[in-house]
Amino acid sequence: MIALRSIVPLLLILMLAGCAVVQPSIPRPVASGNPAVVALLDKAHSQSAAGELGQAGASLERALRIEPRNALLWQELARVRLDSGLYRQAESLAAKSNGFAAANRVLRGENWRIIGQARSGQGDYRGAQAAFDRAEQE
Amino acid sequence: MKLFKYLRSGKQTQRKKATKNKRRFTKRKFLLTAALVGLLLAALYVVYLDFTVRSRFEGRRFALPARVYARPLELYAGLKLKPAELVAELELLGYREAATPREPGSYRWRNQQVELVTRPFTYGDGPQEANSLRVTFAGDRVQVLQGRADNASIELLRLDPALIGGIYPGNNEDRVLVRLDEVPQLLVDALIAVEDVRFYAHRGIDPRGIARALVMTVSGKSVQGGSTLTQQLVKNFFLSAERTVRRKLNEMTMALLLEVHYSKEEILETYLNEVYLGQDGNRAIHGFGLASSFFFDKPLMQIDLTEAALLVGMLKGPAYYSPRRHPQRALNRRNLVLGEMAEASFITDQQLLAGRITSLGVVERPPRGTSPYPAFLSLIHRQLRRDYRDEDLRSEGLQIFTTLDPWVQRAAENALSKQLQRLEQGRGIAEDSLQGALLVTDAQNGEVQAVVGGRDPRFEGFNRALDAQRPIGSLIKPAVFLTALQQPQSYTLATLLDDSPLLLQQPGTEDWQPQNYDKEFHGQVPLHTALTHSYNVSTARLGLQLGVPSVMDNLRRLGVDRELPGYAASLLGADTFSPLEVAQLYQTLASGGFRTPLRAIREVLTFTGQPLQRYPLDVEQVVDASSNYLLTAALQEVVQEGTAKGLHRYLPKELGIAGKTGTTDDFRDSWFAGFSGDRLGVVWVGRDDNQPAGLTGASGAMTVWAEMMAGLDLEPLVLPVPDNIERVWIESQSGLRSASGCPDVIELPFIVGSAPTESAACGPGSVGNSIKSWFERIFQ
Repeated sequence: MIALRSIVPLLLILMLAGCAVVQPSIPRPVASGNPAVVALLDKAHSQSAAGELGQAGASLERALRIEPRNALLWQELARVRLDSGLYRQAESLAAKSNGFAAANRVLRGENWRIIGQARSGQGDYRGAQAAFDRAEQE
Repeated sequence: MKLFKYLRSGKQTQRKKATKNKRRFTKRKFLLTAALVGLLLAALYVVYLDFTVRSRFEGRRFALPARVYARPLELYAGLKLKPAELVAELELLGYREAATPREPGSYRWRNQQVELVTRPFTYGDGPQEANSLRVTFAGDRVQVLQGRADNASIELLRLDPALIGGIYPGNNEDRVLVRLDEVPQLLVDALIAVEDVRFYAHRGIDPRGIARALVMTVSGKSVQGGSTLTQQLVKNFFLSAERTVRRKLNEMTMALLLEVHYSKEEILETYLNEVYLGQDGNRAIHGFGLASSFFFDKPLMQIDLTEAALLVGMLKGPAYYSPRRHPQRALNRRNLVLGEMAEASFITDQQLLAGRITSLGVVERPPRGTSPYPAFLSLIHRQLRRDYRDEDLRSEGLQIFTTLDPWVQRAAENALSKQLQRLEQGRGIAEDSLQGALLVTDAQNGEVQAVVGGRDPRFEGFNRALDAQRPIGSLIKPAVFLTALQQPQSYTLATLLDDSPLLLQQPGTEDWQPQNYDKEFHGQVPLHTALTHSYNVSTARLGLQLGVPSVMDNLRRLGVDRELPGYAASLLGADTFSPLEVAQLYQTLASGGFRTPLRAIREVLTFTGQPLQRYPLDVEQVVDASSNYLLTAALQEVVQEGTAKGLHRYLPKELGIAGKTGTTDDFRDSWFAGFSGDRLGVVWVGRDDNQPAGLTGASGAMTVWAEMMAGLDLEPLVLPVPDNIERVWIESQSGLRSASGCPDVIELPFIVGSAPTESAACGPGSVGNSIKSWFERIFQ
C-alpha cells in the first residue's frame, strides 16, 4: 500500500514529464480568427510568464467576453487557475472547455491532462489516473 | 547743603530724567509689547482661521465616495455594433462632436466612419493612453479600427467606462462629487469668464478685481462683487447673511490662506463641488454635479455649452435666476454668460449665436435619485459590503468596475414599464397596479448586465429584483426533471409519466390533490411533453417518486444557497424565491451545467488606480454535460411548441431560445426565465399587495422578456452536443423506438444506451420500415 502510494505520484511525474516532451511536437491550434482575441491571448501569455496570474486571468476573461464559446480560451483559463493552485477551478474550467471542443482531440487531450493535474493537486490520484487515461484515448 | 541741594536737585533732575526716560521707555515697551501681543493675537487668530478653513476644506476634499463604473465598451474588428450605437455610447460618456477631433473625448461621425480621440483611463491592468482612431463600419459590424496618424490597424481598444453612480458619505447623501478632470472645460471657461477672470493669476484676493468692481459699481455700469472664486468658496463654507467688514476681512484672510496650502486645481474642484445652486424643498442643491442631475437629469460630463452657461449664470442668485420658476430671467442671464464667454474668446461668435437661440433644456421634474440605476447600484453595494467596511466605501475614493451594460439596462427598463402599461390597458387591469422586476445576465460568465427593481427604474426604494420573495410556480420544474434525467437508466425524455388524478395523504398534513392548469388529466404522457406543457400532476408524481429531498438537494447544487423546506407542494413551486435567486438557478442550466456565481463587479481599484481586488470568473461543474443537454433541449421545446410558444410573435424560431413559464395560484405571480446563446433573463410580474394579477407566465412576464430581448440582437442558442448523446426516433404514444417517416414520431436525444430498445409497430425492425429503407437504398 505504502509502495503503491509512492509509486502513483512517481508515475504521474513521469507522465507529466512525458507530456512536456511530447507537447512541442503538437502543432498549436489556431487560437481564433479574431485579432482582438489573439492579442488578448498574447497578452495573457506574457502576463502568465511574468507571474501575473491574476492579470492573465483577467485578459482571458476579456477574450471570453468576445468569444464565449472558444474552447481554447477556456482551456487557457483552466491552465492559469492550475498554475495558481486553484485546482477545483482548473478542473471545472477544463471540463467547460471540453464542452466546446467538439471534435478537437488535441484540445480535449490537453483538457484531460489539466484535469488530471488538478485532481492530483487535490490528492485524488485515482481520479487523476483516470483523467490521464482519457487523455491518451483522445 | 547746596551741594546736597544741587546733588539733590541733580538727583531730582536725574530722577526726573530717569522717570521721564523710564516713562518713555515704558511707553515704548508698552507699545512694543502691545504690538507684539497684538501681532501674536493676530497671528493666533490667523492660525485659528487657518485651522478652521483648512479643516473645512479637508473635510470636503478627502471624504471621497466610491465611484461606480459601467462596463467599458471594447471595440474590435468584427464587433456587432452600428455607427449610431457607437455614437450613442460616446454621448453617454460625454464625448463632444467636433469638426476635427483633437482633444480627448471628442468625435466626428460621417456615414460609415467615426473618428474619435479616447480619454486616457486607468483600468485594472494599467493605464491606457488617449488614442486617436478611426472606426470604419460595414453593415452592422465594425470593419476595422485604425490609428488616425499612421493608418495602422488597431486590434482592440477600450473606451473609458461610463460613471453610473457613487456611494456617498451618509451626511452628504445628496452630493454628486465630481473630479476636475471630468468637468467639461466649457463649464470651467464659463465660470472663469463670468466670476473670476484672473483666477489663475491672483493669490486668493484680487485687488484689481476689487478696484474694477468699485469703478463699475460707482459708475453705475453694473454691480460686481469683486470676490474671487476662492473667496466665494470660503463664503460657502460659512454660510451666513452677515455683511460686515470683519466678516469680509476674515473671508479675505482665509482665501489667502487657502491659496497658500492648496493648488488652484484643488480649490477649483472643491468650489465646483461646494457651491450652492438651488433649492428643492428643504434639500439644498450643492455642487455642479448634483445641479446637473437636478436640472438636466444627466451627469455633469454630458452637459453642453448652453447648459454650462445656465448653471454658471445661476451662481449669482440661484432663487432669482431659477430656470424652473423664472425661465425668462434665467434665459437672459444665460445669454449674458454666453456673451462674456465670447468676449473672453472661449467660444466663437458662431457658437454664441447658436447658443442664444437654444432652449434652456431643463427637465420639468427633477429626478428623484442621483444614480440612474439605483437597483443595480444596490446590488453592487450589497456585494461590496461583504468585503469592505461601509466607511471605506464612502470615503476612500475606491473605483468600482461593474458589469452593467447601459444598453441592456435601458432595453430592460423600457420593456418593463412599457409592457406593464400595455397589459393594464389591454386587459382592463387597474392602472399602476402591476409591478415587476427583472435581471439580465451573460449566459456564459454570469455577469449581471441589467437589474430593474420595479416599473419606475429611478425609484430608490424596494428592489423587487433582489428582495421580493415570491412563489415561483412552474419555474421549479426543470429541477424536478433534471433530477430524473440524471438517472438515465430510469428516466429519459421519452419515459411515459402518469398524469392521472393524484391524492397525497400524509399524517399531520392536509390532503394534497394537485391539478393541471387546464383542469384535465392527460393519462400517460412522455416526460418531455409533461415539461413542455407544464403538467402539474405528472410532475408532482415524478417528484414524489424521485423523493422531495433529492429534488431540493439538486436545487441547492444548482445555486440556491440556503436551506429549503421541501414539502410535496415545493415540487410545484410553492416556495418563495427572489428573481435574483431564480437567475442564479437558471444560470447554471444556461452555462451548460456549470454553476457560475452571478457577478456584478469585475474589480476594485484604489483612488490612485492600484488594483485592490478582482472578482474573477468562477465556474464549478454541478450537472453532467449530457443531463444538462437533455433538459435544455426540452426547455427549447417549451418555446418551440409548449407554454412559451407565443414568444415567436416577438423573436424568430431560429434563435432556439430555451425557457420556462411560471404561474402561481389565482394568477398572483407571472414568471418567465429563458436564455439564448448569449443572454439569460428572468422576469417577474405581479402585485405588491399579493392580490391576483390576472396574468399567466406567458401572458405577463414572457411578453416583457420578449419585448426586451427583441431589442438586443440575441445570439442563437446552439447547444454543443456531448459525445455520449445519440438521437433516436420515438413513437410518442408508446414511447417505443420507431423510425423517421413513421406516423406520430419525434426525434429525441438520449444518453447512449438509455434509449428504448423495444421497437414500435412502425419501427427500425418492422416490415414496413425494411421495405422503406430498401427503396431508399435503391434510390440513393
